[in-house]
Amino acid sequence: MKLFILYSLFAITALAQEPAVSFRGMTRMNRAPVSNEVLKVKLPRPVERQLPNGMKLLILESHRAPTVSLTISIPSSPLHDPEGMPGVAEATAALMPMGTTTRTARQISETLADIGATVSFSAGAGGGGGRGGRGGGGEGGGSISVSALSENFDEALAVMSDILLHPSFPADEFEKWKTRQRSAIEQARTSPTGLGNEMMMKVLYPGDARQFTRLTSESLNKLTRDNLIEHYKKFYVPSGEWAGIVGDITPQKAMASLEKALGGWKGGPIAKVTVPIQSPIAEKKVYLVNRPGSVQTDIVLTNRAVDRTSPDYIDCLVMNQVLGSGPAARLFRIIREEKGYTYGVSSSFTASRTMQHFSSSMLVRTEVTEPALADLLKEFKEIRDVAVPKEELEGAKRTLVASFALGLENPATVLQRWMQQREFGLPADYWDTYTEKIAAVTAEDVARVAKKYVPYDNVQIIAVGDGAKIRELLKKFGPVVETAAEAQ
Amino acid sequence: MKLSFILVLSAAGLALAQQASSVIPKVKFTDTRLDNGLRVIISEDHYAPVYAICVAYKVGSKDERPGRTGFAHLFEHMMFKGTENVGVGELDFLIYTNGGNSNGTTNTDRTSYYEVLPKNQLDLGLYLEADRMHALAITPDNLENQRQAVKEERRQSVDNQAYGQTSEKMEELVYDNFAYHHTVIGSMSDLDAASVDDVKAFFKTYYAPNNAVLALVGDLDTKETLAKVKKYFGAIPRQTPPTPVNLDEKPKTAERRAALTDPLARLPRLDIAYRIPPAGSADTRALGVAASILGGGGGFGGRGGGGGGNTSRLYNLLVNEKEMAVQVSAAADRRAGPGMFRISATLRPGKDPKQVEGLIGEEIAKLYSQPVSEKELKRVRMSLLRSAENRLTALSRAQALADAAAVYDDPNRVNTEIESQLVVNAQDIIRAAKANLVNANKTVVVTQPAGRGQ
Repeated sequence: MKLFILYSLFAITALAQEPAVSFRGMTRMNRAPVSNEVLKVKLPRPVERQLPNGMKLLILESHRAPTVSLTISIPSSPLHDPEGMPGVAEATAALMPMGTTTRTARQISETLADIGATVSFSAGAGGGGGRGGRGGGGEGGGSISVSALSENFDEALAVMSDILLHPSFPADEFEKWKTRQRSAIEQARTSPTGLGNEMMMKVLYPGDARQFTRLTSESLNKLTRDNLIEHYKKFYVPSGEWAGIVGDITPQKAMASLEKALGGWKGGPIAKVTVPIQSPIAEKKVYLVNRPGSVQTDIVLTNRAVDRTSPDYIDCLVMNQVLGSGPAARLFRIIREEKGYTYGVSSSFTASRTMQHFSSSMLVRTEVTEPALADLLKEFKEIRDVAVPKEELEGAKRTLVASFALGLENPATVLQRWMQQREFGLPADYWDTYTEKIAAVTAEDVARVAKKYVPYDNVQIIAVGDGAKIRELLKKFGPVVETAAEAQ
Repeated sequence: MKLSFILVLSAAGLALAQQASSVIPKVKFTDTRLDNGLRVIISEDHYAPVYAICVAYKVGSKDERPGRTGFAHLFEHMMFKGTENVGVGELDFLIYTNGGNSNGTTNTDRTSYYEVLPKNQLDLGLYLEADRMHALAITPDNLENQRQAVKEERRQSVDNQAYGQTSEKMEELVYDNFAYHHTVIGSMSDLDAASVDDVKAFFKTYYAPNNAVLALVGDLDTKETLAKVKKYFGAIPRQTPPTPVNLDEKPKTAERRAALTDPLARLPRLDIAYRIPPAGSADTRALGVAASILGGGGGFGGRGGGGGGNTSRLYNLLVNEKEMAVQVSAAADRRAGPGMFRISATLRPGKDPKQVEGLIGEEIAKLYSQPVSEKELKRVRMSLLRSAENRLTALSRAQALADAAAVYDDPNRVNTEIESQLVVNAQDIIRAAKANLVNANKTVVVTQPAGRGQ
C-alpha cells in the first residue's frame, strides 16, 4: 500500500520557467525540453495522539517497507551540563545502553543484533551543529531512537524501555568508555573540518555549553559516574516533548505498544532550557587555527543569524538558494567551477531550537587561501548590494517548490517536517501554504535579508591551516587571533 | 557459481531467503537493447511522483594506463561542463530548478551518472543524458578547471587527511596488475599530465551507447518511457567496443609489509588486507559474511550510545576486552576483478601494532577450523535484511540495476545477490578462509603518527 499523496500539476506565473537568460557562471542555451508545470504536492498528515504520561505522539503510517522507526525527544541536553563540565549529557547518553539491572552491555547489543534492531540514545546538539554544506544541526535536544522490522518492534521497544527505566551505569564500562574517549579526543584533533567546527561554535556561542562540540579532556578527567546518574534522574523523564513514529504500524497498534513499553516512564514536566537568541557579533575577526603540515586551508565564514520562527526565515531560504545551496547556486558556479579553488563550497542557515547562524565553508589549497577568501567575500557583498536578476531568483524559487515532490519518497522526511511544525509552533497549514510563501518572495526581500544576515563588515572568519604560510595574509582580512590545533 | 548456491541451501538459509522476499520486494524490470547497443532497464514504482535515471558506463580506474591514473574520475567531472546544446552550468541549473538533483560517481569498475526528478520532467532527464553521451563540449578551459577541482578533491580526501596515504599504499601492495594497482583518485602528476586529446579519445572509446547501461526507475509507464528512450538515444552511433581489460592477478607468494609515518595522524593504525576472488564467487560471498562476524557492525557514535551496535569478534576482543584499539572494522571489498578483504584497527597510544596483529592472526586462524555459530550467522543475515531497506528509493534501485548490468552483465543480481549471501553457511566460511586468508596472501601496512603522537 502506498502513502496517500495528493499532488497535481500546476503552473503559476511566478514560478514558470523563464526564457533563456545567462547569468554569472552560467550559459543558457535553452534547448533541453522542460515541462513548465510544477508538481504541487500536499504532504500526507500524521495522526496525533497523547500517552497517559503526557508524551505527545505523531504517527505516520506507511507500509512501503515492513519496518517501524520511533524517535522520542527528551529534556536531556548539553545545555544542562554543569559549568566547567561539558560532556555530561553526552556521557550519559553513551553509557545508557551499556548495562541495565538485568542485562550487560554485551547482552543488550546481542539481543538487538539478533533481531536486526537498533536502539540509540543521543544527547542532541549542544554544539557541533550545521555549517555550510556539511549538514545541519538537529533540533537541539536529546532523543531516543528505535528502528526495527515491524514484527520485532515490540521486542526492540522492550529493550529500549529496560534501558530507559533501569540503566545501571556499570563502573567498569564507564572506565573503559573514558579510556576510549581519551583516544577519540586525540583522534578528533586530526580532522581539519572538525577543528573548524569546534572554533566556529566557540566564536558563535561563547557564553554557554553550545561552545563545546564534544567532551573535553579536562572534563573527562573530572567526570564521575555520579554525574551521569544525576543527569539521568533529572533529564530522562517525559516532559511533554514530542515523539514521532513512522512505518508499518497503525495508530492503534502504535499506542498499544508504547503504552505497554513506556507506561512506567513517569516524572516531569521539567522547565525547558532556553538560550537567548543573540544578535550578530559586531566586530570582524579572523581566527587562525594553526595546523602545521596542512596542504589545505579550511575556511568558515559565519555569524549569528535568523531564528526558525522569524518572518524572515522563508526569505532567507530563497536568498541562500541563490547564493550557496547546491551546484546551481552562485558559490558552486563561481568559486568552484569558474575559479577552481575548491572541491566543494556552499552556505546554509542553521536554525534549530538552540542555534541560529549562517555559515559558509570550503577547503582550498594553501596557495590560493587569499584569493579564495577574497572571492567568497565578494560574493557576499554582491548578494547584499546588487539586486538578484529576475531569472536567477525565479530559478531559486522553483528549486525550493519543485523539489518538494522528492521528499515524498521517504515517509521519515515527511514526518520530520510535521515534527518541525509542532516543535516550533508553526501554523497548522504551514506546509500546505509553503509554495505560496516561497512564490511571494521578491528581489527586495532577498536583498533585505542578505544585508541583514549574510555577514560582511562583521564577518567571523575561521581558517584552519598551516600558520607559517597563511598567518600574514589573514591579517589583510581583519584582526587575527591564533590558536594551535593541539591546544584548542 | 549458481550451482554451489543450490548445494548449500540449508533449511535455515531457505527460511531466511523466504523471509527476505517478504521483507524486500523483488525488483521487477524490463531489459531491452536498442539497435545501437544501449542496454535499457526500466522498473516501475508508483509510490511517489518521482523517477530516477542512471547511466552507467563500463569504464573505471581499471581501464587507465600508466601515466594517466585518476583519468576516469577526471573525465566524470567533464561530463558536467556542458555540451553543444547545454551551456556551462546549465545542466545543474535545469535539474535543480525543476526540483531534481544529480551527481556522478567513479569507482574501479564503472562510472555512473544520475538524476532524480519529479515525474513530469521525464523528457528533461532523458535529453540531458542522451545529449552528453554524444555532444560533450571538450575544451581546454573545461579540462583545466576540472583538473583543479579534482586536485582539490584529492587534497581533501587524501593529502590533508590522517591516514590518507595508507589506502593508497594498500592498493599498491595488494595488486600487481596495473588495473587495480592504483587508486581511483590518481596521482597529482598524472592529473597534471592529462590532455584534451586524452579526453577526446576516452570519450570516443568508452562513452558510446554500446558501452553503457541506462536504468530508469519510478513513477513511469514502461512502454511510453521506452519510446522516449528510443527517441532521445536511438540515433547516437555505436562505436568500436573497447578491448576488455584483463584483471587477472598472479597468486601472491609471500606476505608484503610497509611502514608509514603520517604527520597528520595522532594514533597508530594497523591495516591488514588479503586479495580475494571477484564478486559473485562463492568464496567472496562467504568472506563478506566472515568480515561482518569479525569486524562488522556500527559501534558507538561520538555523541551518544547505540545498542545493537558492535557485537563483532574483533571489537569484543580488541576494543572491549584487551582495550588495545579504539576502533576496528573488517570488510570485503567486492569488485569485477579480484577484491580485497580488509581489517583496519586504530590503536590506543603506545599499543604495539605487532601484538594486535598477532591477536588478529589468531582470530583469522580460528576461521580455518572452528565453524562460526548459527547465532553469528543469523545476526549477519538480519543486518543484510535491514541494509536492503536502503534500496527502496528510486535512485538506489536505478543505481543498483545499472551497476549490476554494467559491471556484472546481470541486472537481476539486485534480486539474487542478497539471497545468495543469506544462505552462506559455516562450512563456506571455513573453506573460503583457508583458501584466501593465508599468510602468503597477506599485506600489512602499519601507520605511525609522526612527531608528538609517538
